[in-house]
Amino acid sequence: MKLIKTALAQGFIRCHDCGYLIKSKVQCLCPVCKSSVSARRHQNLHLTTALIISSFCLYIPANIYPIMAVTELGVTARHTIAGGIMVLIQKDMVPIAILVLVASILVPLMKLLGITLLLLCVHYRWQVNVHLFTRMYRIIAFVGRWSMLDIFMISILVGLVNMGGVANVIAGPAATAFAAVVVLTMFAAKSFDPRLIWDHQLT
Amino acid sequence: MAKTALLFLWPCAFSLVPVYAFEACPECDLLLNPAEPEHGDKAHCPRCGYLLQRPHKHSIERTLALSLAGLILIVPANLLPMIAVKLLGNSQDGNLWSGVLALFNEEMWAVAVLVMLSSVLLPLVNMGLAFVISLHLFIKKPSNYLIFWMRWYQHLNEWAMIEVYALGIIVAWVKLADDADIRFGFGLYAFVGLLIVNAMLANELDCYTFWQRISQLSKK
Repeated sequence: MKLIKTALAQGFIRCHDCGYLIKSKVQCLCPVCKSSVSARRHQNLHLTTALIISSFCLYIPANIYPIMAVTELGVTARHTIAGGIMVLIQKDMVPIAILVLVASILVPLMKLLGITLLLLCVHYRWQVNVHLFTRMYRIIAFVGRWSMLDIFMISILVGLVNMGGVANVIAGPAATAFAAVVVLTMFAAKSFDPRLIWDHQLT
Repeated sequence: MAKTALLFLWPCAFSLVPVYAFEACPECDLLLNPAEPEHGDKAHCPRCGYLLQRPHKHSIERTLALSLAGLILIVPANLLPMIAVKLLGNSQDGNLWSGVLALFNEEMWAVAVLVMLSSVLLPLVNMGLAFVISLHLFIKKPSNYLIFWMRWYQHLNEWAMIEVYALGIIVAWVKLADDADIRFGFGLYAFVGLLIVNAMLANELDCYTFWQRISQLSKK
């Protein structure tokens, strides 16, 4: 077994905010930036789990209900997220359709499943390919904000196309659910401590 | 006189204060000797490959200049019309705020607040924080609020989503391009400028360097 020296094993705790190493084993205040410092954010696992479960619940209405309603010359059409992508494909704008598909369907789903996998891995102390899992965590943390694409697009359309019966776009109930999914998964990724993946590995 | 004394003291202060004698990787907690990469190089964690630091030459001066430019550009990007749409004889122009206001009028207040925060308010707050932090480090004036500002800068950074908004504009433009006549206003050019400045700022502001400078400044 290779002996790898983690800061915690040597009696140091790294401050989450400023990176200063504190010689302590218990929760304390960072002398540099005065933030509260603990060795691992274990208690956050509950928080992450709660956030992920709420996101799973909200992901369903976000995909079932219409995310926007488009009125053109008195005719109203309601689009779900998938419906909006189908409209883009029918208009022969496949690259943009793929972009929206990735940003608003695949990325949230991948994030939900990915964080669930990370939580299971930490909880059951699985022996996994740590490099792969760390890379997965990084991708999840990086990619989260790009799901806001659909929300921004709707807010732009709602602001611009606002001409009464002639042409009008209004946001649907799924927009709130989808925005909540994005925000909650971003908080979940932020509250997860990636060092926990490394802690229980024997090699 | 005071200035030369300060210059003399600078390397001494650096060696006397053992602030960052060791460091640890934030993602795998490996205990490390602090890397001292050259300007322009990057230091990665040897175990997990996390980007530890990325020092730049004149990091503070450049951050100061870029954040000032960003603060100036935010004003026209918010106030001037960005896109004008002409649809079946009706025309309308919109800026960053029109979408937020329309969502408020629809009583979608949660989405409206989220859009307002991530596209208007937090980019402004972040630019302002980067400006005051780099200004204090540039004129070497210690402040009790420096650590507070820096912590908030780090936490709020990912919630300012200018680049995502830009992608949203492109998608909205493609969706409307078939049916409507679209013109871009001066606000959009300011917004693109803001986008570039924001990306350069994120590249220039190395948190490790900034924290070191802040702790040196408060120790003196």
